[in-house]
Amino acid sequence: MADGRGKILITVSYQLNAKKLTMKNILLILSTSRTSQNAIEYAVSLAKKEKAKLVVLYIIETELTNEIFDKFTDIGFIGDKPSTQLAEAIMKEYRQRGYEEMGKVQIRAMEENVDFDAVTTLGDFIEKALEIIERYKVDTAIAIKRKRSAFLKYFSKSMVDELVERAPCKVEVFEE
Amino acid sequence: MKVEIDRRPIGIIIASKSFRPVFFLTIGLLFYYLINLPTPEGLTIQGQRALSLFAVCLVLWVTGMLPLAITSLMAIVAVPLLGILDNKETYALFGNEAVFFILGAFILSGAVMHSGLSGRIALTIMNRFGSTPKGLLISIFFLAAVLSFFMSEHAVAAMLFPIVLEIAKSLNLRPGISNYGKSLFIALAWGCIIGGVATFLGGARVPLAVGMLKEATGINIGFFEYSIVVFPTVLIMLLAGYLWLTRFFPQDIEDIHMAKAVFERKIKGLGKIGYAEYAVGVLMVLTVFLWLFFGRIIGIANIAIVAVVALFILKLVRWKDIEEYVNWGIILMYGGAITLGASLEKSGAATWLANTVIGTWANSPFLVIALLSLSTILLTEGMSNAAVIAVLLPVGIGIAGKFNIDPKIITYAIAIPAGLAFCFPMSTPANAIAVSSGYITTKDMTKAGILMMIIAWIVFIIVAKVYWPMVGVKF
Repeated sequence: MADGRGKILITVSYQLNAKKLTMKNILLILSTSRTSQNAIEYAVSLAKKEKAKLVVLYIIETELTNEIFDKFTDIGFIGDKPSTQLAEAIMKEYRQRGYEEMGKVQIRAMEENVDFDAVTTLGDFIEKALEIIERYKVDTAIAIKRKRSAFLKYFSKSMVDELVERAPCKVEVFEE
Repeated sequence: MKVEIDRRPIGIIIASKSFRPVFFLTIGLLFYYLINLPTPEGLTIQGQRALSLFAVCLVLWVTGMLPLAITSLMAIVAVPLLGILDNKETYALFGNEAVFFILGAFILSGAVMHSGLSGRIALTIMNRFGSTPKGLLISIFFLAAVLSFFMSEHAVAAMLFPIVLEIAKSLNLRPGISNYGKSLFIALAWGCIIGGVATFLGGARVPLAVGMLKEATGINIGFFEYSIVVFPTVLIMLLAGYLWLTRFFPQDIEDIHMAKAVFERKIKGLGKIGYAEYAVGVLMVLTVFLWLFFGRIIGIANIAIVAVVALFILKLVRWKDIEEYVNWGIILMYGGAITLGASLEKSGAATWLANTVIGTWANSPFLVIALLSLSTILLTEGMSNAAVIAVLLPVGIGIAGKFNIDPKIITYAIAIPAGLAFCFPMSTPANAIAVSSGYITTKDMTKAGILMMIIAWIVFIIVAKVYWPMVGVKF
């Protein structure tokens, strides 16, 4: 299955003021299953307040498509070709949704005169977030955590919790 | 906005980090414990070993910690190693007629998909009947069902999903919000699920049940015979499903002309119907005709394999094409499940289990069927349909002996409800794909699916009580 794991798909950038070399970087992390209008508004307003550049990372999580692929092959016993075509159709849809989400953030950033960089990538949520934090020397990252039951919280740690632990910068978490 | 520290007890943190080895160690210990228990009265050593192996396979099939086919493969190896059956008998079971029927059916289904015939039929029907929101919904629902009469329901879901997704996008339906979007994807999933129980071909689980029945008792169920028994349930479920779907997700769209544009563009892209599509279509119709009316005389596996050979004689497919559409794991899964079922029966374990443990909670044939079908419908929501049959049928056949019920009836009572999983994405691939679209959430699916599950069970029971005796299935 060609899932293109770990491949950087697109990087969009515009800078209102290229002279600001010591500018702070704020990272907003969105993903297939983690988007939030409140987090977008907060990230834009924080970047404006701190006169920082807003880097928006959209991670297309391959975990779900891999799960679908496995389900169709392991339980449905259908061949690689239909399973792969199915996974590709889902990936295409997620990619488009990612671009739409990035478009929303870009419009808000432009309205508020905030410097903006956008990165869309495929792969593991934590690894990709850490990679971009490192690459942009991010000062503050903003992540969105899905609400989970107390039972699940007790027995498994969320990916955002793990990111908070491993990130070399401050991570602010929105629970939605 | 806070940093959360993992405050769970250290034991739980370590267990969550080392879950997999701990799980398999526990399974090993469970097996060791069961096999070393004093052999209960009335059970043979071979029976005890078969039951211990069955318990391990049950846990692995339910949890999905190993692929289904690998669990089955393990069962095939363990049966002779534990001395339950000898090597020759074990591997002979692997060559069961049901295994070759399914293999042939999957290859034929792959050829239909590869030729593009199934896609053309789907688009033509949607284009013809999908001019209104209601018409489009009905055409997706019934098309998914009818295609699942002839092909694997999972293959139908995989084939129709990109088309339904494109329809939803062309109509600007908002994922997770649009009721119509939700109903389109549920219609796809439920259509495949309901249609998948109608014949031997849909879910492919029915031939497994029939194969297990034949190995355990020597009794066979024909393609036509099964379809006659199940058809009213399918028709009522389709009607009930459509009514419930439109009631649960009231239509919130009036104009669907953009969807028509999608169909027309796609149909244009397919070009004119070619030789391969015609020939595969004719071959498929002929094969289904032979299965229905000559299956008992010629043998359904023989018909399937002859049809496969014909595909290659007519140069309709290449081996490479077939390899892309067929998952050979199905042979291992079915072979293993049949072997395990037969080992439970032949060692006397199934009868012992039915007599001492399970047979005590029912006291009439009707109650047995009601409870077995209820257990099946509940279990199938949480595990693979085929695994439910592999787990419940050997016990069911044992119960049939205790209550003097025709084992065929028990097979129907397990094989039909085993396909009707409506509630969760984990229940069946068609549900998983519907949720993965993002148009419907797991919560929506569960809420709508619970009532469908209840309806399915009630419909099944009523049909069994009222209709089955009319076609000679009495209990």
